Amino acid sequence: MEKQVMEYASGNEMAAIAIKQIGYDLMGYYPITPSTQIAENLDIMRANGETDLVMVAAEGEHSAAGICYGASVAGGRVVNASSANGILYALEQFPVQAGTRYPMVMNVACRTVSGPLSIKGDHSDLMYLLNTGWCILFANTVQQVYDFNIIALKLSEAVRLPVVVAYDGFFTSHQKSRCYRFEEDKMVQDFIGKKQEPYPFLDLEHPITVGSYMNEPDIINNRYQLHLAMEEADKLLPKLFSDYGEISGRNYGKVEGIGCQDAENVLFLLGSSYDTSIDVIEEMRKEGKKAGAATLHVLRPFPVKELVTFLPKAKNILVADRQDSYGAGGGNLSLEVRAAMQKAGNSVKIKSLVYGLGGKDFFQEDVRDMLEWLEDDCKPDFAYYGITPGKVSETEDKPLFAPVTREKTMIGSTKVEMTEKGLKVSGGNLNSVTAMPGRIAPGHGACPGCGIPVNLNLLLRGIEDPVVFLFQTGCAMIVTTAYPKTSFRVPYLHNLFQNGAATLSGVAEICYRKQEKGEIPKGDILFVMVSGDGGLDIGMGSALGTALRGHRLLIFEYDNGGYMNTGYQLSYSTPLGARSSTSHVGSKQYGKTFFHKDMPRIMAATGIPYVATVAESNPTDFMKKAAKAAYYAKNVGTAYVKAISACPLNWNDKPATERKVIEAAVNCCYFPLYEVEQGVTRLSYDPEKTGKKIPVIDWLSMMGRTKHLQKEEYAEVVFRMQQEIDLRFAELKKRAE
Amino acid sequence: MQVGEKKTGFKKILEEGKEYYEIRLESIGGLGANLLGKMLGELGVKYLDVNSSNFSSYGSEKTGTPVKGFVRYCKKEKEIRLHSPIVEPDLLVVFHQALLKDEVVWKGCNEKTKIIIATDGERMEFPFFRGEIYGIDAQRIAMETHSRINVVMLGAVLKVIGVENPEVGEQICRDTLGKKYPASLQGNLEGMKRGYEEIRKLPLTDRNGSNMEESTKEDYKGRESDQLQWGYLTAPMGGINPRLGNTVISDLSPSRQGYIPLFIKERCINCGLCFSACPDMVFQFAKGKFKGKDMMINQGLDYYHCKGCLRCVDVCPVNALVRGVEAENERKEHFMPNQELLRLPKYYEKAGADGYITSESYLTEERMEGGEV
Repeated sequence: MEKQVMEYASGNEMAAIAIKQIGYDLMGYYPITPSTQIAENLDIMRANGETDLVMVAAEGEHSAAGICYGASVAGGRVVNASSANGILYALEQFPVQAGTRYPMVMNVACRTVSGPLSIKGDHSDLMYLLNTGWCILFANTVQQVYDFNIIALKLSEAVRLPVVVAYDGFFTSHQKSRCYRFEEDKMVQDFIGKKQEPYPFLDLEHPITVGSYMNEPDIINNRYQLHLAMEEADKLLPKLFSDYGEISGRNYGKVEGIGCQDAENVLFLLGSSYDTSIDVIEEMRKEGKKAGAATLHVLRPFPVKELVTFLPKAKNILVADRQDSYGAGGGNLSLEVRAAMQKAGNSVKIKSLVYGLGGKDFFQEDVRDMLEWLEDDCKPDFAYYGITPGKVSETEDKPLFAPVTREKTMIGSTKVEMTEKGLKVSGGNLNSVTAMPGRIAPGHGACPGCGIPVNLNLLLRGIEDPVVFLFQTGCAMIVTTAYPKTSFRVPYLHNLFQNGAATLSGVAEICYRKQEKGEIPKGDILFVMVSGDGGLDIGMGSALGTALRGHRLLIFEYDNGGYMNTGYQLSYSTPLGARSSTSHVGSKQYGKTFFHKDMPRIMAATGIPYVATVAESNPTDFMKKAAKAAYYAKNVGTAYVKAISACPLNWNDKPATERKVIEAAVNCCYFPLYEVEQGVTRLSYDPEKTGKKIPVIDWLSMMGRTKHLQKEEYAEVVFRMQQEIDLRFAELKKRAE
Repeated sequence: MQVGEKKTGFKKILEEGKEYYEIRLESIGGLGANLLGKMLGELGVKYLDVNSSNFSSYGSEKTGTPVKGFVRYCKKEKEIRLHSPIVEPDLLVVFHQALLKDEVVWKGCNEKTKIIIATDGERMEFPFFRGEIYGIDAQRIAMETHSRINVVMLGAVLKVIGVENPEVGEQICRDTLGKKYPASLQGNLEGMKRGYEEIRKLPLTDRNGSNMEESTKEDYKGRESDQLQWGYLTAPMGGINPRLGNTVISDLSPSRQGYIPLFIKERCINCGLCFSACPDMVFQFAKGKFKGKDMMINQGLDYYHCKGCLRCVDVCPVNALVRGVEAENERKEHFMPNQELLRLPKYYEKAGADGYITSESYLTEERMEGGEV
């Protein structure tokens, strides 16, 4: 046995340690809760020079999977980590990886799939991977996350199939416990061995083609090869487990159980719930009950043979599924256990319970309850466990607010008029706009001092027409719509943040159609899509598509410069050099390594009628531009408005003085205020003319996330930043001439 | 430094036939409860010669919202296989007295539970509770030592769970904070030590009997608000929510950090800048006259929704809004509930206006170092 040291760590931390020890070449990833900490931990190690892993933060999971695929084709050792909708977004890439037979490992911290959106754990994401041709290992404990990461890569390279290491989101990914790792990285590397490349892609002397265009009769043969590889994996796994047992002292099998040798009633659970059941089953057995519990460490290849022999005395099995294959009478685990038992000619009776969805806690008492269910012949074969019927509350259904109608918002404070000289806008008076009822109610859960509600408020005060909202995933959506509450007093729809603009296009089309048919009253309605927290990274394609189609809606971006809703991972809008949880500062890294994205310019390039930048430090300008944008979005085509939005929590500055920080961002020309109206660029405010221009470091020094750049050692970073900002501003001014 | 197990004294608790010793931390995001949970967990496996695990209640990253932490200890030989929250804690650690307003904070406590509360009070009026209660003026200590409230609570916890030598606490502070916040280590060590030394048992004001026993596990598990209970029979399909604007029933005063904006109406020129800077729609304007002119007039603030960010104080050009200490301003002049409401929500009845003050050092320290809050 090799020497090991104790760690007190979470599943994500142990995955990161394993990845570091293995010495991977590249991690392509996109942050998504609850798997994000893996990349975060590795980024800390990178910043401190503990690993030379190449880390590529993609602009979405689909791209992350592409980066991983390319890197593995090129012969790198590659790892990824994801969860929930991230898995689904990248789904089409996984069969490509498996079908062309390139090994890699992906950690899946299992989380429930939207919608409605939830960040907590169940297995609904993982089960989508069953048919992708990836091997799937499932870890019940933090220790297993580490161990399986090491076994996974060896398996992957041996059979040339990609491998998933799955574990429960939060229950395993975030809970800290005692565990062990090998003292030396070399021990891990020796176990895995050198990577073999049967067809080196970058060998220019022997060029190969990867990814042929293939039809019948070849595809079926290609798939059969994949099937054979799965069979090979099935045969190889026992040896890998036992080899690993020899060096670690921890022995695993494809199936694990307690009391299964003589148990008549067996509870089948996956993940941390199985772990929870162990103590209870032991207790019950001491009480003389022949109970047992079992779990699988391998879902693909599904261990039919081992499973059947593992339960020799079982008469009744209850499979508890943490997801449902809706309409199939059970989750995928129960379907597969049923199939396996039937294949063995076994007459065991199997019941299914769907439990713990959306991270609903699993208590020890639940183990006994479930086994009672199994024994009770009156209970049905399939049911949901832990659901509540709810109570009817008439008081709560009485409205708290009157609807915000056209009559109430048309206060005539901000007026837009098309004249011969173009669009004229007047008003924007801060006093008079207070007369307008709020489309968003107070009581939302944003952090003290958050810029998002401030920006939304300024935007909406400038828009007097009825508003229909679509929010992409992000802080704004999370803090306003935590069920069973909502802050919205006007129609609101959420969709995931790669698809907001497209979704709203659909809403708008049906609105116009219904108006035309007379099914709803005529009159202007403004469709507003709200996004931030990097939503126009992953959602950029959808936004550009909408702009190119010219759908009549307003895209509003609150740019807080990071994925703030998930703990501040870098977005493409994060300033150069800024510290984030995926761009740490250390001896080997100075923060984010590339410039902030110029989204308004990208949008302007689509030729939409109106693009504007706004800041709360210039509130009247903000509201007037909102009114203009509304005009164009109602009458002409897509309008795009971007605000720079303060995030006291992650910018790490004081909530009270955020307006000054925003003002500084404007004055240093990091965030110049301008508009592009029907192709004509106009600077709204020129700090050079008012003598208020400041160097960018003055702004950066105001925030904890960029304060470190004041140090001499980062002078070069600041210089490059200043240069880029000056260049962008000079170009802007030229366009505005 | 390896601290000898025998010195710590804590193991005794587990030798009394207890399978687990369980601690639940009750706090507000931003006070460092999550970090305290980690420190207590690590302390167990590293220095107390026991096994341990910990986790926090999970949610999106935010300051000002309630946070729970869970720490379990058991004998070294045993694996911790529980992954569920702690329902009946042996020790409940409450980061601020005001949190006790919310039932779910003390649910599951019984006469054997010990409670540590950060309070400057000398007595506790806690009619539901019969166990032992300890108080520590953690905010004052944190301020005086330039440490954070969580390390003060760490010291207090060590004392109450029977750790005989606070050196293990120092050690875990060094391990956890030393590298990340070297500059504030000395203060944190001092804060921890004073927590250990100054924690004291509080006399309970008994108000005829207890209904603590009535709180069951079921209450805790199914702890969703009674007033809004939607289930599969009653909830609109698809998660649709027709209760427009009902976040308004939330009382957000616990998000405050001890300070509130005070409104001096005589100075106000109704410019609307406060309204434009407020993230929480606190300012209530109504039609009226100002200097003979028809204008929207600032009526006052809706303190139910004020999170105390003080943005309004910063932007007010005439000092009509000033920073006040919440505790000194219990009767808030110009308190004006939301004027657009059709009916007053029930929730408001129990909504108090007491916030809490965290240490000044919290506001000024370089919190981004590691981002632990």
